[in-house]
Formats: sequence, C-alpha cells, structure tokens
Amino acid sequence: MADRIAALVILVVAGLYGLVAFTAIKAPFQYDPLGPESWPQILSIAAMLCALAVLARPDAEPDWGGGSTLGRLGLALAALVVYAIAFQPLGFLVSTFLFCAGLAWRGGAGAARALLFGLGIAVGGDLLCTRVLELNLPAGVLGL
Amino acid sequence: MGQILAELGSGFAVALHPLNLALVLFGCFAGTLIGALPGIGPINGVAILLPIAYSLRLPPESALILLAGIYYGAEYGGRISSILLNVPGDAGAVMTTLDGNPLAKRGEAGRALSLSACASFFGGTLSVVLLTVFGPPLADFAISFGPPEYVALMVFAFATLSSLVGRNPTKTLLGAIIGLMLATVGVDANTGVNRYTFGIPDLFSGIDFLVVVIGLFGIAELLHLVEAQARGHLALTAVGRSFVSWRDLMAVKWTLLRSSIIGFIIGVLPGTGASVASAVAYGTEKRVAGEDGRTFGTGNIRGLAAPEAANNASAGGSMVPMLTLGIPGSGTTAILLGALLLFNIQPGPLMFDQHPEIAWGLIASMYIGNVALLLINLPLVGLFARLLTLPQAYMIPLIAVLAFIGVYSVVGNPFDLYMMIGLGLLGWVLRKLDFSLAPVILGVVLGSLFEDNLRRALSISGGDWTILLESRESLILYAMAVLIVVVPVLLGRRRRTSRSEADPPA
Repeated sequence: MADRIAALVILVVAGLYGLVAFTAIKAPFQYDPLGPESWPQILSIAAMLCALAVLARPDAEPDWGGGSTLGRLGLALAALVVYAIAFQPLGFLVSTFLFCAGLAWRGGAGAARALLFGLGIAVGGDLLCTRVLELNLPAGVLGL
Repeated sequence: MGQILAELGSGFAVALHPLNLALVLFGCFAGTLIGALPGIGPINGVAILLPIAYSLRLPPESALILLAGIYYGAEYGGRISSILLNVPGDAGAVMTTLDGNPLAKRGEAGRALSLSACASFFGGTLSVVLLTVFGPPLADFAISFGPPEYVALMVFAFATLSSLVGRNPTKTLLGAIIGLMLATVGVDANTGVNRYTFGIPDLFSGIDFLVVVIGLFGIAELLHLVEAQARGHLALTAVGRSFVSWRDLMAVKWTLLRSSIIGFIIGVLPGTGASVASAVAYGTEKRVAGEDGRTFGTGNIRGLAAPEAANNASAGGSMVPMLTLGIPGSGTTAILLGALLLFNIQPGPLMFDQHPEIAWGLIASMYIGNVALLLINLPLVGLFARLLTLPQAYMIPLIAVLAFIGVYSVVGNPFDLYMMIGLGLLGWVLRKLDFSLAPVILGVVLGSLFEDNLRRALSISGGDWTILLESRESLILYAMAVLIVVVPVLLGRRRRTSRSEADPPA
C-alpha cells in the first residue's frame, strides 16, 4: 500500500515536472539542438515509467512502528522545524541550548543532565565554531 | 612503473606535510569514532562533516585528505558496533554482524575485533596498491573520452547501480532519477533559463549540494535513530581480553586475498560500494569454504574476515573511477566528488596531470591512513567500544546541531535549513520504502555532468543521436551495461529453477 501511494505521488510529481518541461521551459536563444527542456523531458518520462513499474509490482508493506513511534518522530521533526525557525532570530547559543536540552530531556535523559548537556553543547559549540574555527553562526538576541 | 613511483613519492611529500599528516590522523580517528556509533556509517559521517571541512578554508588537497580519512576510518569503525551490538553502522557492515556477533557472544569479542582490524588493514592496503598501479593507466585511457563516451559511461554507471545496489532494481533506478531531477533545479548554465525555480530566488543557483547531502544523510539518519530509540534498547557485549593469534591470520590469508580483490573490483564499478562488495565476498567465501562453509553465521573467522577485507578494499577501489573518470565509485565517493566540485576542481582524467598534488597526495595519504588505523584500532578498541554506550538521547541532538552548523556556516541562508529538513523527511520515507539513498546522491552529483555531455555530444553531431553509438569505446560500455543488467536476472532465474527441481513443492 505504502509503495503504491509513493509510486502515485512520484507519478504525479514526475507528470507535473514533465508538464513544465514540455510547455514552460524554453530558451529565447538556443545554441544546442537539445536546449534546456529535453533533458527534463527525458527524466520525467523515465521517472513515470519506473513509478508505473513500482505501482504494478509493489514490495511488501514496511514496518511503520506503532503510533508512539510515529509520535516520537513527529515530535523530533517538529523540534527540528522550531530549531530552524529560531536559529537566526534567537541566535546559535540560545536556540541550540533550548533544542538540545529539550530533545535530550524528551529522549530520556534526566532534567538536570539535559540542561547541562544543552548548556555544554551551546557554549562549547559556539566557542569552538566562532572563536577557534571562525565559522559563520548567527549571534541573534545575544549579539546586540 | 618508475614514473608511478616517482609520482607516488611526490604524493608522499604532500601527505607528509605536517598539516596533512595531522589531518589524516585526525580524520582516521574521528572516522573510527563516527563509524563506531551505531547507525552512523561512512556516508553519514562524511556528509555531516563535509561542510565543516569546507568552511575551514583548507586547501583542496588537505580537505580531501581529511574527508577520505574519515571515510576509511568509518569503514574500520563500522565493524565495532556490528560485532559488539549486532547493529551494523551502515549497509556495508551488515555482513560483519553475521559471524562477528556470534564470536563476541562466545566471549571472543577481542579476537573478533583485532582480527577484523587486520582484515580491514589488509583489504585497505591492497586496494591502495592496486589503485596506485591501475589508476594512472585508466586515466590515460580515459583522456581520449569525448562527450559520447561519457554518456555511455553514465549509462553504464546507472546500469550497474540499478542491477547491483538495493533489493528492488526499479526503485534504485527511480532513486537515481529523483537525484537527476533534483539536479535540474536552478538556472541552466548553457542558456540562462530558469528551471523549476518557481520564482524563488533561493533556488536560482540550484539546490546546494551540501544541503542535499546533509538532508538525505544527516537528518534522515537522525530520524532513523529516533525511530530506533523509540523501539527499544541495545545490548552491548563486553570486549574481553582475547586477541587475534598468528594462527588465525594464517587461517584466513587466502580469504583476505580473495575478498580484497573482489572488494576492489566491485568498488571500481561505478556506484557500487561497500555493501555490495561485502555481500559478494561473504557469499563467495561461503561457497569456496565447502564443508567449512556450514559453520558460517555461527562465528567462523573466515566469515568475519571476508566482508571486512572486502568493504575496506572497496573504499580504495571506489576512488579509482572518481580520480580517473570523475564518476564516483560509491555513495561516499559521490560526496567526496561533490566536495572537489565545491573547490572548483573537476575530477576526471586530467586530474593526475593538472592537480597531481590532489590525486597523488590523496593516494599517499591512504597508505599512511591505513597504517595509522591499524595502530589506532588494535590497542584503542576498548575506548571506541565505550562510545557505543553513549545514550541516543544525547546523540540525536548532537547530529542535528552538527547538521545545522554545517548548512548555516557555508551558505548562511535560513531557507536552506528548511530545505534540509524537508529532504531529511524525504530521505527517511524513501529509506522506509526500501529505496537506497546512495543512488539519489549519485544522481545529484552526476546530473549536470550527464546532461552537459549529452547536450555537447548532440551539438557536435548537429542533433543526430547516432553519434552516441559511433565509437568503439561507447559500444563496449553499452554492451557491458546490458550484460550487467541481464546476467544477474538470468542467474537468478537459473538458480530458482534448479532449486525448484531439487526440492519439488510438496
């Protein structure tokens, strides 16, 4: 079932991808016989053929785990998105502290250990990256 | 031969430069650490650390030496979690669990670890020697390749990929096509036309290679770990005091030689890396062993040595097409190749002439790295083993922070962070559905090369497609592509019929 759904999604995406390639992509001046549109056209057809093949002969259903596994995954994914949203405005130090402490705590480390871990990664990572390695990280609210 | 030795000498001059030597040692050490962590294999390790290596502003040869050190360090390290936890670090280490973990359960973990370290060393070193000998002539041969031959080479690469990698050939091919499609996003370099950018300026320069790599291999891996954590805990076997004996080594000497050569050859085939190499070597060894083969899977040292020698040999082998043809030999070398492109260096036949310091420096550093890894691994294995007890609660956020630092520090655009998470989710779903991710990254790396060569070939011929079939080299490559797809299918069919004849359905 999962295979069939995935194959359908790929079929639709490849179809739209092909539609764009066959109708929208055009070069005003073109020096080579293929132009920018032929390669995506070929790819879209190949992808649709493969998707049809998967649709016809899907594999056995993967083990998705129970609702709690998927819930944990959803939580981790949400944490990543929040971290990404907060990364620039809050800055590396603050957002990393919150993210690491929160995720470690949810992952089963004790509250005190999780706080310590978050603090260590945030401060240590910031010192290492901005002072020693001179990488570009957002300063955020603490950079005022 | 004399010339090769002279060039290798100049390579050693590069590799022994204090900075590079330090990077090899650090890379090997860090790689072993990363490989030892359950679930994180060479490809994830290299992917997560690539942007950091890039933003250190090292010269290209040093950055590549560092990343390559991590690559084969992780190939060594992968066996530790396979043997002690029965959890392979990545697909290439699956075969190591079969005989390695039973040995550990019998209380001979130390023997298994030290023997596999020796097997890894043998495989790794032999493959670097073969790389030194066969790389330059192959590059000389490939210099005559024009666009049509490159198109044929790509077809061959994707044929081997779909035939040998993954369980479902259609899905592997589909994965590669998804990669090729991702590579078409952005401004077309030949005509300046926007493709699939939907007016989003962040997409004009295409989806950054780093973002794809970290998304597919860093974030997807993280989600996989979350899932594994939610499902329960892992039991660690103690290392103990046993050690490999000279008799063990003598007992597996032919196994090592056979498996290393198999591993090297499979590594050279474009797209197929450690996972295929170790599986084929294990299967071959089991067949060769005859009567002894029955004990495979219960802690036979030959069954342990074969896949370990093969997967390290394949790491050296997969460097051959990368350095000589510009076509990666495995998923991990695809990332290394992408790293070279980040430095504006086009890997390919001219690299031995134009950037000998990179090609030969890398090869020389592999000799040093293998010796260093053996020396690191024999005494320090207990230290690495302790890492396995690092709770996942800390490891998961740590991977995320590394991924965020990597993506942000190179491009500095928050949009890429969302893209990375999206690709990570895509990678997790694909993996769940039994797609392998290496073909996707190969597609991303090879996408523009494939398209450019196809367009160039047809420009030369004025739109006549028969140019693709004109040269002898291309025809040979197409023939090989057909063979590699057809032979496994026929073999599978023959095996199935002979089996059904042997034991008729009741």
